[in-house]
Amino acid sequence: MTAVANRSQRPLSIDLRPAMLVARRRIRQSRIAQICLILALWWASAGVVRLLPLPMPSGMLGLALALILLATRRISLFTLRRGTEWFVGDMMLFFVPAVVSILDHPEFIGRPGLELLAVIVLSTLAVMIMTALTVEVIYLWRLRLERN
Amino acid sequence: MNAINAIVPSLSWSFATIGIYWVSKQIYRRRRRIWLMPIAITPLILIVLILCLHETYQGYIGGAGWLVGLLAPATIAFAAPLYERRAIIRKQWPILLAGMIVGSLTAISTSYGLAWLLGIEPAVRLSLAPRSLSTPFAMAVSDAIGGIPSLTAFFVLVTGFTGTFLGDAMMSWLPLRSALARGAALGMSAHAAGTAKAYELGFEEGTIAGLVMILSGLLNVAVASLLRMSSGQF
Repeated sequence: MTAVANRSQRPLSIDLRPAMLVARRRIRQSRIAQICLILALWWASAGVVRLLPLPMPSGMLGLALALILLATRRISLFTLRRGTEWFVGDMMLFFVPAVVSILDHPEFIGRPGLELLAVIVLSTLAVMIMTALTVEVIYLWRLRLERN
Repeated sequence: MNAINAIVPSLSWSFATIGIYWVSKQIYRRRRRIWLMPIAITPLILIVLILCLHETYQGYIGGAGWLVGLLAPATIAFAAPLYERRAIIRKQWPILLAGMIVGSLTAISTSYGLAWLLGIEPAVRLSLAPRSLSTPFAMAVSDAIGGIPSLTAFFVLVTGFTGTFLGDAMMSWLPLRSALARGAALGMSAHAAGTAKAYELGFEEGTIAGLVMILSGLLNVAVASLLRMSSGQF
């Protein structure tokens, strides 16, 4: 209401507020700005981890920081989503150089490599079965409790 | 002149990594074959390139190693999916926590134990232990317990492929009635690859799998960090 009243009193002045709102929304929606926000969080948490003797990687502290900001509504999911989608979606690119490190382990060619593969396959199977059974048993037990 | 000699290879390895990844991603978008996945084909092409150019791994990682550093801000990005699913966490945390504890203990004990039985050296055994977690978490745990983080990244990748191949068969073989169990099993055993498989089963399975992947990563990193602190290696 006041905006309309102001405009009628001063017809020559230009109201910048709608333009400002559009600009703010553009910045919030832009992926680059959101990526910069995440990088800023990382930079801040890396600084804190370096200064204080905290026993955690900077990424964890940054994650905790981002969750606190989201929970206290200082930032909304809307101002983060496009940036997080880029980071999580292209995360594979970031560990390509680490995977190339296998070049430095020629000792795994042949039998040792097959042994490692066997360990990974068997262990993955075990994790899948144990996790599924644990969750399923508790689920069925809870279901029975609810029925009684 | 020396500065230019140092900068050119470093820049070109970064560009090569990003470029090959980008092209393989475009190809994978059109032809969805598992052996065309960017994460499999990009390191393979790079390794061939490094060998052909008589470059060393040290030379390569000196140029493109900064990309691995971006895994830390990528961890921060997990805040969004975690916050979105806060209602599920509030409702299902006891059952998911039980699944994650059993799953993590199974992952660590079976990979470490089997490697010990086969006489695999201690540093490699420790690098195997966190392989069922998502890469940023797995590398952080590996670093904390005395493994080789880059070797862990490779094991994480192999685990992902294993989970993709075994996921369907196991999910139809195991008599599971709840989406909760299917999602938790896939997310716990094969991180992002398992989560992608879980989304093929259904939206609920996928959501749970993604959640379990992130939460189990956080749980393991927290425990590993505390262990390192209490052992005084910090």
